[in-house]
Amino acid sequence: MTPALAHHLIDDVGAMLLFTMILILGAGQLYRAIYAVAAQSVFIGIAGGVLATATGNSDLWVIAGLTIVIKAVALPWLMLRVIARVGIRREIEPVIPISLTLAIAAAIILLSFYLSASLGTVRQAITGNALPVGIALMLLGVLVMVSRRKAVTQMVGLFASENGIFFTAMAVSQGMPLIIEIGVILDVILGALVMGILMLRVRSSLDEDIADLEQLKG
Amino acid sequence: MIRHLPVLLPLVPVLTGLAMLALRDPRALAAVDVAGSLVILVLTLLLAGTVITSGPVAAGPFRADAVALPFLFLIGFLAVCAAIYTVGWMREELETGKIKLGTVRHYYALFHAFIATMLLTVLADNLGVLWIAMEGTTITSAVLVGLRGHRGSLEAAWKYIIVTTIGISFGLFGTVLVYAAAAHARGDMSGDAMSWAVIAGMSKKLDPGIVRIGFLFVLVGYGTKAGLAPVHMWLPDAHSQAPSPVSALLSGALIKCALFGIIRFHTIARGACGEAFSGRLLVLFGLVSVVVATPLIITQRDFKRLLGYHSVEHVGIVALGLGFGGTVGTFGALLHVINHGVTKALVFLVAGNAIGRYRTQDMHAIRGLLAIAPWTGTFLLMGAFSLAGTPPFSIFVSELYVLRAGLGGGHFVAVAVFLLMTVIIFGGLIHHAGRMAFGSPSASAKAGRDAGSTLGAMALLAAVMVLLGVFLPSGLERVLSRATEVILG
Amino acid sequence: MDGLAPLGVAAARVALLALAAPLVTGIVQKMKATLQSRQGASVVQPYRDLRKLLRKGTVQSDTASAIFRAVPPLVLAATLTAAAMVPVLFLPGAAGGARLPLGDAILLLSLLALARFLLAVGALDAGGAFGGMGASREMTVGVLVEPVLMLVVFSVAAAVGTTELGDIAARRSLAFRAPDLLALFSMMLLLLAETGRIPVDNPDTHLELTMLHEGMLLEHSGPGLGCLVLATHVKQIVIMAFSLAIFFPEGLAQSLAPQAIAIAAGAFCLKIVGLSIFLALVESSYAKLRFFRLPQFLGMGLLCAFMALALRLL
Repeated sequence: MTPALAHHLIDDVGAMLLFTMILILGAGQLYRAIYAVAAQSVFIGIAGGVLATATGNSDLWVIAGLTIVIKAVALPWLMLRVIARVGIRREIEPVIPISLTLAIAAAIILLSFYLSASLGTVRQAITGNALPVGIALMLLGVLVMVSRRKAVTQMVGLFASENGIFFTAMAVSQGMPLIIEIGVILDVILGALVMGILMLRVRSSLDEDIADLEQLKG
Repeated sequence: MIRHLPVLLPLVPVLTGLAMLALRDPRALAAVDVAGSLVILVLTLLLAGTVITSGPVAAGPFRADAVALPFLFLIGFLAVCAAIYTVGWMREELETGKIKLGTVRHYYALFHAFIATMLLTVLADNLGVLWIAMEGTTITSAVLVGLRGHRGSLEAAWKYIIVTTIGISFGLFGTVLVYAAAAHARGDMSGDAMSWAVIAGMSKKLDPGIVRIGFLFVLVGYGTKAGLAPVHMWLPDAHSQAPSPVSALLSGALIKCALFGIIRFHTIARGACGEAFSGRLLVLFGLVSVVVATPLIITQRDFKRLLGYHSVEHVGIVALGLGFGGTVGTFGALLHVINHGVTKALVFLVAGNAIGRYRTQDMHAIRGLLAIAPWTGTFLLMGAFSLAGTPPFSIFVSELYVLRAGLGGGHFVAVAVFLLMTVIIFGGLIHHAGRMAFGSPSASAKAGRDAGSTLGAMALLAAVMVLLGVFLPSGLERVLSRATEVILG
Repeated sequence: MDGLAPLGVAAARVALLALAAPLVTGIVQKMKATLQSRQGASVVQPYRDLRKLLRKGTVQSDTASAIFRAVPPLVLAATLTAAAMVPVLFLPGAAGGARLPLGDAILLLSLLALARFLLAVGALDAGGAFGGMGASREMTVGVLVEPVLMLVVFSVAAAVGTTELGDIAARRSLAFRAPDLLALFSMMLLLLAETGRIPVDNPDTHLELTMLHEGMLLEHSGPGLGCLVLATHVKQIVIMAFSLAIFFPEGLAQSLAPQAIAIAAGAFCLKIVGLSIFLALVESSYAKLRFFRLPQFLGMGLLCAFMALALRLL
């Protein structure tokens, strides 16, 4: 695979990642957001595969496989089970209206591309548009987390944010060392488990959504 | 064996934790707790001795250099004091039924897992391992925060884990960017590009643009974990809802570990982008933290929340010290890390005793502590004066260093604001502490003597606090000077 | 081609599209019926409806003026002119050296916007409440839809270098890049909005709370209504052909040979049927959105189109 072809493919994957991110931002129903983040993780896996073929670094195959198994299958399945158990389906109106959220998202995407364009030759160290898309995905994930009221959507935002970081990390030269990426995935899993347990505990003992607890103030 | 200490040191609490899972008797658990913490402290001192005389000790992805030493010492010392405190505290908790017998060993095991992750953070040379360890601290401490299981602690644990995980992912992104710069500058690909020692060595050759963006992400990210405003929201909740010994370690050690991460990147940024960039950002964030924390300290009602906001302010002071820069500022910042850690832990342990006695965290309800529990009351007053920055306590000394650095660097506005806030906080703290200590105790307060172990732990901390306020031991001074040199490159 | 020949070609295209348009609506209705397990009306029912309308008399309200009477033919004229510009069977270079007439994308969109505007003015002129409400809603949708259409056109034009529809169709290569997928997604959303179908508007209803397009047609009757209904059909097929020209121009004839034209006609029918299936499926699967949710729905389309353009340029 030539570097130019890899560059093009990464650009395309980046566009699809942004597309799934928009779907997450506009999702009214919780299961749509979960499916969108699962699709996003599949694209990350595809990007890993492309980069693995392009750079010959076989560690990236492992990472791509792990990402698909864990972030595209296992964690979304877990989240779907949590919302089935808890019984919530719809996201209530977020803190800022969706139209404003979409406008902020457009501004963030532009900002990421501008930031990335202002760098010099070091830009070549990162294949394709992985840097601006990574920054955009990360910031948009944070936007989802701060503007949503349901705990599951906040977790979805967290996973989307980490997808962005992964995308950039994989595209740097020949990818980050395997140990680091495995460690990161492990941390993501553990974090998700703890969050899921907390949510279920609150739900079972207090019958509320954990993100709604607002007692501690001031 | 000395050469393998960077690997052995985190291993000790892991083994201790595993051993604890097998025990059931609370007294045996307490004994293992204290023993394990003592071993950590002893090993730390051994390591310190080697590093001072013969330079950094490296083993695999771990590396102990002079900068890590103050943090390691802080973690070890606080672990010992918390372990001693927990002996009496746990007995009290079991008697009043706040902790169930089955949960006790899980608490101890998690506690040591938490300590292990903090040690890993400080000893990591590989920036990726640093990040993984930091996430590990979040996960273990979040479980500890929510361990009690009631509404407030679950809410605090949720906010804590969500906010700090986002924060740390920003830090990861910054790490990736710095790694990209290093890989690009090195040309060839090898795992070395993740090693801090290697990157710091070639920091002048890194592309400044990408390091700038990377440092910004790291500052916001690890700054969230450290409790820098404006991303400090989780801190008062988490530190107030956690069990008191855990709070002591959270405020005393954990936020300092996050600052450690920032310091590592500060060194890199200084080399790549020049001294002004990261310094100015640190001053900005530090000042905002100090200013934001002040009104919330004055108007606070919950004792532990007050202490949480106070930690925000002091983290701001450390950031100011680092930002003002120069030998004086950096030395002062590192000294403040130790001083504040010791003092804050002392006051949290005092709070633990007071809350156990009065069964409430509301400061208006806690009165007459000196009458009922004279030793605890004395330690409360000592701790409050120290936190407010009064001589002859340690915090006064380190704040003085930071002030001198600020004046020397010409940051007159920042210094003026800082002084103003300090004065306001002094008034507020003394008012709160005085009201709690003096007066006649309320009827609902439990009488009786404090557990001896709790007083012993507090005495230990108070002793160090006074010691460091009066003079600086030469060993400590050498460590801090060497660390300052390493940070400034 | 000189003289009146280009005009003749354009007129032939207009006639072809105008004749085929009601059939497309009939196909969509029939498919919806099949999906909903109904028998449904016959595929040629729209023709019968048009014939019925042409024979009926006109009734208009007292407050309506000459504008009201003038609106139906004007709207039909604008829409038919737009129909003259869309490449249906052949590409510009098909007649050897001379260029066959096709239109500019922006002009096409402007003509459709003009038709929408005239319709709204006529509805306001009638002085009824339904007309006013329908007009204001339709214009709101128009404000949301037209910029997105422009962005989609620009994102494609940025790749090709011109907004001339024929050239866009000619130079379009088969390779879909990801920004094109984003623009395609946006276009599919816009197709639903411009053809007035669920989830944007319900074409079958006459309840005042759910009407957008129907509200504006309510006051017209007889041949005037017939013109407007035909205009609606033609607008639908024009938008469909427009999106096909931008995204799927395969099959358009490169030369004027009979077999090339036959292949092109077959390809066009196939693609239109495909789009009809898409419309029928969407109409049967979703419920109509509340009017206040439309900005969010179309906002997603706007963001996708915007990103398609941004990714092309960056």
